[in-house]
Order: sequence, then C-alpha cells, then structure tokens
Amino acid sequence: MSGGNQDHPASHLLHLARMPSVWCAGCGIGIVVNTFIQTVHKLNLDPSELFVFSSQLGCTGKIAEYLKFKQPPSKERNLFFSALRFKQKRPESRVVIFFNENDLVVSGIDDFLFLCERGKGVLAVFINSFLHHLFLEHRELECFPLGKKVLEKESQFLFNLPGEVEKCGASLVARWTPLHCRRLMFSMKKSFSKHGFSFIEVISPCLMYHASERGLGKKLHRMDDFLKNSAIMDGKSKDNLDTRENQIILGNFVDN
Amino acid sequence: MKYEIHILEERCKGCGICVEICQADVLELSPEANEKGIQVPYPKKPENCLNCGMGEMFCPDFAIYVWVNDDEEEVRE
Repeated sequence: MSGGNQDHPASHLLHLARMPSVWCAGCGIGIVVNTFIQTVHKLNLDPSELFVFSSQLGCTGKIAEYLKFKQPPSKERNLFFSALRFKQKRPESRVVIFFNENDLVVSGIDDFLFLCERGKGVLAVFINSFLHHLFLEHRELECFPLGKKVLEKESQFLFNLPGEVEKCGASLVARWTPLHCRRLMFSMKKSFSKHGFSFIEVISPCLMYHASERGLGKKLHRMDDFLKNSAIMDGKSKDNLDTRENQIILGNFVDN
Repeated sequence: MKYEIHILEERCKGCGICVEICQADVLELSPEANEKGIQVPYPKKPENCLNCGMGEMFCPDFAIYVWVNDDEEEVRE
C-alpha cells in the first residue's frame, strides 16, 4: 500500500477543517477547485509561490478560503487591480484569480481588460454561472442556452469574454464546462507555462437560479445538459462565441 | 485488491457525481441516509476499479480518493 488510512493526496493544499464546502451539491465550483488543486499537485508547484485571489463576493469568492495558498492582504476592493498591482510588485510569483459575474460588475470590466493587457503570467479563471442577468431587468435568464427562447435584445446574450480577452493579446484563452475537467486541467497546465495572460472560462450551472421548470432537472442532470448542448470547436472565430445557436461552444481558442 | 477506494463520509454531500461519472460501475449510493440525511456512496464493485481518477477529480469536496498498491503499476497518467 502506498498509503494507509491517510487523507486525500492533495490534502496538504487544503484547509481541511473548513470542509465540506458551502457550495451546493451539484455546483460546478467545487469541481473547478478540485481540478485546480489536482493541477498544482501533479505539476509539483511550490505552494509558497502561488497566490490565489478571489473576492469575498458570492460563491466564487469563497474559493480562497479552502486553499492553503497565500492570500496577500489588500485594502483594494478592486480584485483585478489588486492582483495586477501584486503581480507587478512580485513578478516571480504565480497569481491565480477566481472570479465570477459579481466581480465583473463590482470591479468593472474596464479594470479586467486592463489586467488582460498588463497581467503577464496571470491565470484568470472565470466561473460563468449566467448570473449577470440578475443585475439587469431580465430575471428569467433568456440568454440561457437551454431555455430555447427567442432573443430580442443584445443585452440578453451571454458575455463573450473570450473574444474580448483575445483582442487584449492573451496567450491562452479557453472555455470548458465542469464536466470537461480533464481538458480544463490540460488548459490549466498549459497556462502555468505561459508568460502572457491566461484566461479560462468555465460555464457552470447555478442550482439556485436556474429554474427547474426549464426542464433542466436537478443536481448532475443540469451539468449533463451542459455537456450534451456543448460542442468543442477549437478553431472557431472568437467573435461569435455566445450561444445564439443554442449551443455552448467550448475549446482552446488561443494558444500562443 | 489492486486499488483501494476511500470515501470520507464526513465530507460527502451526496451529490452523486462520482456515481454517475464512474464508467466501471464501481460506486453506488447507499440506500439509507446517514445522520445528516445524506446518501453517501459506497464501493459496490471495488474490483472493477480502473483507477482512471475521474471520481477523485470530480468530487467537489475531496471526499473520495484511491490508493494504489505498491506492487502494481499505476495506470493513471
């Protein structure tokens, strides 16, 4: 036996006393965190060189609480600006940012795009749970790819962050769902070898806001619907990565 | 046994992802709930385990992992 009654192989990277996590059973955030931990574990990265940034907003903001990586104290409320400032002060460090739509709204997309242009060696993981419409007048998630509704306004479409990030000159741009976690791990592995900015979008279901009357089922069935309605198109044009065709387009869009 | 499956009941939330994702049909949700009201999975057919690592990777709470016997070569990449 290579280990007796021990704990998880990656337990040295986690705050085990805080487990289990607060995320719902069936949420994709936990899988993303697990994939990230497995990536760090398999690459044998030094935890003392990794700095994880996440705001204290929403579910995604709690990711850093479960990880044993350093969280630099910051008085900045702007997540992207504080991460960029830290990276510029310590260029040798590895900076990873987990954020969602809340952070884009609070910190501002201009600062995010500024980070994309200047944040060399930064990995940004965007967990997209389709919650940004909660901030607008649309509370029925018309943009949802499985909702099968007719879209009328431009604001009803999803964010096309990969297209915007590519224009800022990112080295790696990818989009996956939690059920593509093996591919997500390969993208994360690649990002640690890049010198430029890396951006990975993970389209994850939110069990709180995706109404079950849309026929999405519960728990894993929602994630499974994401898998069935997705298509991997690595060479797809980045200008049209939204879900106008009722399909989630996935892949490694940029790999320089 | 070539691979030994460990499931940490105190961390499991009973989402069932590991049961659904396992292609070798190793895991199954226990019919009875524990004191938290959670149906924790258990290795129904541990001899079928291929150590593909999918159940371990998909668990959001790090509640399942597989140990490999030293005599056997690890199949996982």
